[in-house]
Amino acid sequence: MTKTKNTALKHTGAFWMFVLPSLLLFTFFFMIPLFLSIWFSFTNYDGWKTMDFVGLKNYITALTNADFYKTLGRTLLYTICNLPFKVAIPLLLATLVTSKSLKCTTLVRTLVYIPVLFSALVAGITINWMFGQEYGLINFLLQGIGIQPLQWSLNPTLATIVISVASNWVSAGYYMLMYIGGIKNISPDLYEAASVDGASKVQAFFGITVPLLMPTTFIVLLLTTVSSLKEYALVQGISLGGPGTSTTYIVQYIYDQGFNQYKYGYASALGILVSLVFIIIAVVQFKATKGGEI
Amino acid sequence: MKKLIKNTMAGVMAAAMLTSLAACGSSGSGSGSASTTSTGTAETSESAPITGGTLKVTLSEEPGEGDALGNALDTWAAETGNTVEKIIISHDDMRTKFPSMAKNKDLPDLCATTFLHQLYPDEFVDMSTVLDLSMFNENALKLVGKSYTSDTITGVPEQYTTTCIFYNKDAFEAAGIEAPTIEDPWTWDELYENAAILQEKAGVKYGFAADVSRARYDILMYANGGSIVEADGDTFKVTLNSPQNVSTLERFVQANNEVMPKAIWAGGTTDNPVEYFKNGDAAILLSGSWNYNTFSSEITSFDFGVIPSPMGSTCQSAIIGGSALAIPKDAENVELAEQFIQWLYGDDHSNYQDYLQLHKGLSVMNDVSYQPETDKAKEDFAIMQNETNYVTDTFMTDEASSWRTYKDAEYRDALERAVAGEVTAQEALDTFAAELAEASGWEMAY
Repeated sequence: MTKTKNTALKHTGAFWMFVLPSLLLFTFFFMIPLFLSIWFSFTNYDGWKTMDFVGLKNYITALTNADFYKTLGRTLLYTICNLPFKVAIPLLLATLVTSKSLKCTTLVRTLVYIPVLFSALVAGITINWMFGQEYGLINFLLQGIGIQPLQWSLNPTLATIVISVASNWVSAGYYMLMYIGGIKNISPDLYEAASVDGASKVQAFFGITVPLLMPTTFIVLLLTTVSSLKEYALVQGISLGGPGTSTTYIVQYIYDQGFNQYKYGYASALGILVSLVFIIIAVVQFKATKGGEI
Repeated sequence: MKKLIKNTMAGVMAAAMLTSLAACGSSGSGSGSASTTSTGTAETSESAPITGGTLKVTLSEEPGEGDALGNALDTWAAETGNTVEKIIISHDDMRTKFPSMAKNKDLPDLCATTFLHQLYPDEFVDMSTVLDLSMFNENALKLVGKSYTSDTITGVPEQYTTTCIFYNKDAFEAAGIEAPTIEDPWTWDELYENAAILQEKAGVKYGFAADVSRARYDILMYANGGSIVEADGDTFKVTLNSPQNVSTLERFVQANNEVMPKAIWAGGTTDNPVEYFKNGDAAILLSGSWNYNTFSSEITSFDFGVIPSPMGSTCQSAIIGGSALAIPKDAENVELAEQFIQWLYGDDHSNYQDYLQLHKGLSVMNDVSYQPETDKAKEDFAIMQNETNYVTDTFMTDEASSWRTYKDAEYRDALERAVAGEVTAQEALDTFAAELAEASGWEMAY
C-alpha cells in the first residue's frame, strides 16, 4: 500500500515538474495580461496616472462607434478574401515539392520557406521595395514597357492586394510544411490502387489527397483565419493603414486607440470584444468543418 | 460531453492566440532603444562641484559624428570628470517609455524632449530655479519650454526650429521662375501655380511636397485666418470646422490632386517627402528648418535654397517648435543634471555657441546666434530667422489651449481621410471638431 502511495506521489511530482514551467509561462504571459486587460477595460486607464472605474462605458462607446464596425467589417472581408489563397497556395506547393517528378525539392522547399524567417517588418520593407508607387521595382518595370505605373499607395483595392500578396508570401512556406507532413502520412498504396483503377493524377489529388488532408486543412484554416484577423505588422510596414483608413484592420485600430491615443481602457475593451468575435468565428469554423474529421 | 470539451478547448486556443497579441502590444512600435556610455577624463573644474557621477540622458536621435548635444555632453563629461550614459529612445516611443520609466523608478537625469515636460509638468524641475531664464528668446521659452497647463518653464529650450520652405534652384531656373523674397513673398495660390509650371517646364515629378505633419498643414490654416480654437473668456471654443478652415482644406486636397505626391498625405505610403526633394523629384518642400544641415551635406546634384512662407488670405504664418532639456524631479542625479545645464548655457555662453556652431540651427538665446560660413548659408539663415516673426496670435492661442492633450493624432488622420477622398473636407473637420469638443468639454463655435 505504502509502495503504491509512493509511486503515485512520484508520478504526481513528475507530472508537476513537466507541467510547472509551461504553467508559469502561461500564467505570466497569458492569464495575468488577460485579467489585466479585462480590468483595464472597465477603467479610463491612460497608461500612467489615470485609472478610474468607468463601468461599461468603454464597451458602450465601442458598440456605438461606427468606426469600430467599419474596421471590423473590413478585417473580416480581408480575411474571407484571403483564406482561399492562404489554404490553396501552400497545398499546391506541398503537392509540388512532394512530387517525384520535381528535381531539387530541398532547394525549392528552402526557397519557399525563407520568407517565413523574415520579421513582418522586414517583409514589409521588401514588399515596399517591389510595390512602392514612386520607386518600386514593379512600377519601374511597367514604365519600362510603356505601361502607366500603378497607384499601389492610392488605390484601396491595389493597396489591399499588395498586403494580401505579402501576407501569402510570408506564410506560404510554414503552411506548406504542415501539408508536406500530411501528404507524407498518406499511404502510397492508395495512389497505386487509384492508378490501377485508371484514375488520373488530378483525380487522385481531389479524390485522395484533398480528403485525407482534411485534418491538416482544418488546422491551416484555423491558424490562417486567426493570423489574417490579426494582420498588423505587415500593414504597418507597407501602407500604414492607408490610403485613408482603407487598410486599417482591427488590431491596428486597437493599437492606435491604445498606444497612439493613450486610451488603454478603451483599447482593452475593444480587445475583449474582438477576442469574443474571433472565438465565435473559431467555434463556427470548428463546427462547420467538424474539427477536420474525415 | 467530449464535443463540449473539444469546442471549449478550441475556443480557449483561439483566445490564447489572440490575447498573446495584447501581451506583445506593449513592446511599442518596435523602434526600441539603445544605450551608449562615454566617460570624461579631465580633472574637475572649479565650477563643477560634482565629479565621478553618471548622468543618464535620454535622447531621441542616435548621436552621430556631428551630434551637437551628444558632443556637448561628452565635452562636459571630459571637463568635469563625470560620465554620461546616453539612452536613445525614438520620438514616437517617448510617451510610452517615460511613464514606464517613472513607474519603475528608473527615470533619466536629463531628457532631451519636444513634449514630455509640457505634457507632465508636475514631473519636471522648474527651470527658473536652475537658470536665469531672461537670457532665452521669449518665444522659445513660451513655445518650447513652457508646460501646456501652467506658466512654469519645465524645460530649457535647446533646439529651435521653424517651418520653412526649401526650393530646388536648378528647377526654378529651368522653369524660368524667380524665387520670392522676404520683401515680395508669393501667395499660396502663386506657390501652387508655380508648382504646376515646375512640373510642366522643369520636368520634376511634383511641384510641391509637404511633410505629413499637422504642424506643416496648419501654417496654411493660420495664413488664411483660421485656428483650431478661439479664446472664450477663461475657456475656449472649437473653431476647427470654420468656413475658412474648410476652404483651406479643400484647396489643400486640390493641390494634392494636382501638384503634390498625393499618396503621402493620403496616408498610403511610408515614403518621406524629404527624400523626394533630395532626389530632385519635388521642387518645393514645406518642412522644418532643421533639415538645412542634412540638405547642405547630402544634396549634391542641384542647388537648393530657402524661400519665405507664402501669404495666405490674411497673413504669412510659421509654426515654431523645438526640443528642450528637462530634469525629472524624481531623477537620481538632479543636481548633476542642473550642473550640465548651467555649464551649457553658462555666463559667457561659449559652450552654447560651440553647440550652435555644430548644430547649425536657430538660436534659443538672445545674445548668441549661429555664424554660417558661406554667403549662401547666411542668406538662407536670414530667411529662416525671419520666419520666426510670422508666428500668429491664433497659433499662440491654440498652443495656450493645450488642445493636443485631448486629441492629437486624430487630427492628422482626419486630414488624411479628406486627402484620400474618403470624406469631404467639411466632414473631416466637422468630425474632428466634434471629437475635440467632446474630449475637452469646450463648445463648438460652428
